[in-house]
Amino acid sequence: MSDKKIRIGFYALTSCYGCQLQFAMMDEILQLIPNVEIACWFMLERDSYEDEPVDIALIEGSVSTEEEIELVKKIRENAKIVVAVGSCAVQGGVQSWEKDKPLEELWKKVYGDAKVKFQPKMAEPVSNYIKVDYNIYGCPPEKRDFLYTLGTLLIGSWPEDIDYPVCLECRLRGNTCVLLEKGEPCLGPVTRAGCDARCPAFGIACIGCRGAIGYDVAWFDSLARVFREKGLTKEEILERMRMFNAHNPKLEEMVNKIFEGVKE
Amino acid sequence: MKNVYLPITVDHIARVEGKGGVEIVVGDDGVKEVKLNIIEGPRFFEAITLGKKLDEALSVYPRICSFCSAAHKLTALEAAEKAVGFTPREEIQALREVLYIGDMIESHALHLYLLVLPDYMGYSGPLHMVEEYKREIKTALDLKNLGSWIMDELGSRAIHQENAVLGGFGKLPDKSVLEEMKRRLKEALPKAEYTFELFTKLEQYEEVEGPITHIAVKPRNGVYGIYGDYLKASDGNEFPSEEYREHIKEFVVEHSFAKHSHYHGKPFMVGAISRLVNNADTLYGRAKELYESHKDLLRPTNPFANNLAQALELVYFTERAIDLIDETLSKWPIRPRDEVEIRDGFGVSTTEAPRGVLVYALKVENGRVSYADIITPTAFNLAMMEEHVRMMAEKHYNDDPERLKFFAEMVVRAYDPCISCSVHVARL
Repeated sequence: MSDKKIRIGFYALTSCYGCQLQFAMMDEILQLIPNVEIACWFMLERDSYEDEPVDIALIEGSVSTEEEIELVKKIRENAKIVVAVGSCAVQGGVQSWEKDKPLEELWKKVYGDAKVKFQPKMAEPVSNYIKVDYNIYGCPPEKRDFLYTLGTLLIGSWPEDIDYPVCLECRLRGNTCVLLEKGEPCLGPVTRAGCDARCPAFGIACIGCRGAIGYDVAWFDSLARVFREKGLTKEEILERMRMFNAHNPKLEEMVNKIFEGVKE
Repeated sequence: MKNVYLPITVDHIARVEGKGGVEIVVGDDGVKEVKLNIIEGPRFFEAITLGKKLDEALSVYPRICSFCSAAHKLTALEAAEKAVGFTPREEIQALREVLYIGDMIESHALHLYLLVLPDYMGYSGPLHMVEEYKREIKTALDLKNLGSWIMDELGSRAIHQENAVLGGFGKLPDKSVLEEMKRRLKEALPKAEYTFELFTKLEQYEEVEGPITHIAVKPRNGVYGIYGDYLKASDGNEFPSEEYREHIKEFVVEHSFAKHSHYHGKPFMVGAISRLVNNADTLYGRAKELYESHKDLLRPTNPFANNLAQALELVYFTERAIDLIDETLSKWPIRPRDEVEIRDGFGVSTTEAPRGVLVYALKVENGRVSYADIITPTAFNLAMMEEHVRMMAEKHYNDDPERLKFFAEMVVRAYDPCISCSVHVARL
């Protein structure tokens, strides 16, 4: 690493602030401080500026207002590397669960006929508006996701996506299978690993918070048989997968694969 | 010549959770308008969980807010369990409260040391304080780590816990972990007390001194805590949680995605100071002594007292968690979970999140959520917060605008607002 400090910005769109909180809560951050300069991080720093050039821009949250579209464009212009952090920034987040419902309908349910002076929109992933260089997955991401991503970027390398499922990590941990042995609708087989099967280790079904595995390597066929045997309908599976994958253009195709890929 | 005044604005209030701004309009006769702009986008949590399976909705609700995800999870769970007619065993209830206290400790430590203290020490953020305030930063990290670890062990992780489920827990920690938890809580007590002492020395700005109506949950079983089935106001009024809508009205204001609330037509406050104002008689242990000896600082008339009240709660809840763990260990081994039959019904839960009263009202039909109303502490507080920023602005509008902005931000930070939380937005 050169003597020049790396400039980092942590920007927030619409979210629960959990990714930033996870990052802020890492004791390792103290080791990072001497090597970086924080240009923008409103959650912890009053001297924060959204329109300064940075080496690495970390973006949390989904694009959920017209103003946020402008903000992400500005961040992209000012940043050498843009990293989308967490489910909201990468996949739109849980606020996209009903993405196919008209915004007006959701608005009416919540605000009635009232209006506010800002322009709301349906939550979308950051990559719908700007080029994103790397993703940090999870709701929230694991601490080691941050360490790995920033670690590789700071030494001039780059982070690689994980292409195997939570199910694999779960098997390696030797957990009781939540899906096969407890009969719960665990999404572990089709969800991107990296959490060390955190929830199944507590006996809880995976809800897929790290999103579907990329590269179409999800093990849909084996999941299909079990989900079908359990009596889950295609709609029920879609509903569950949409919690964190509503914007995945391949979702329906993948779920169809679950149903069509099984020999009767 | 007529004076021309530009609005004094903070676009993005720093060191709070979520995105909000302050706008102060000054005219010839002083402060004309004060607005807290909540600019974070809407997330429609109630609307998107309608018609969804109960367990899936319960996984989504905590995502309203990371700083108090355990509060959201446990309040939603209680509302859901009340709706389906299930009451958890006492020992499960006790462990859930310990999990909730983990959230309380982490959240208070984070707020006090990393968000509030830099203002008083003259820094723009905690990361600059590391060298000069080693003890403070270490205390902050120790307390924060303790809270996070409790949530890791009982909730599966510190943010968005999945291990608390209908009927109990997915899995319980080993007995040895609970014993270790007790040990670490005992070790943390002096650190909590140090925090209290530190905060007794900080200024409480008298510019914002004035009458405040406080609302808090009336503690269950008469012991200062998090759960309760009645709401209590400092005007002496008490009512069952189910009747919250008869006393507290929500309304939309055009400058905010978050709604405002009035109690009988007026702004009110919730939070640590409101809990103390209404429920100090139910405190016990060291916290009770500290409260008695520092009543003059823990004033019901000043929002800045909320900081010190949080510090006092660090002491209280640390002791309380030890007692709750003892209670659980006396019944060990315990079953983690009971079968819950998902029947139709309606349930309201009111609990004390770190920032104050949190309300969940859920209706369940055919195993799915058919009605959801969630009101968060910050949404309750926004109207009062705006009043206090106005009071501060009225005293300082002639000052340097930067100074005024700083004071305005400090008022907002004293409330420890969870802006993301407030933008979950509720049904009308």
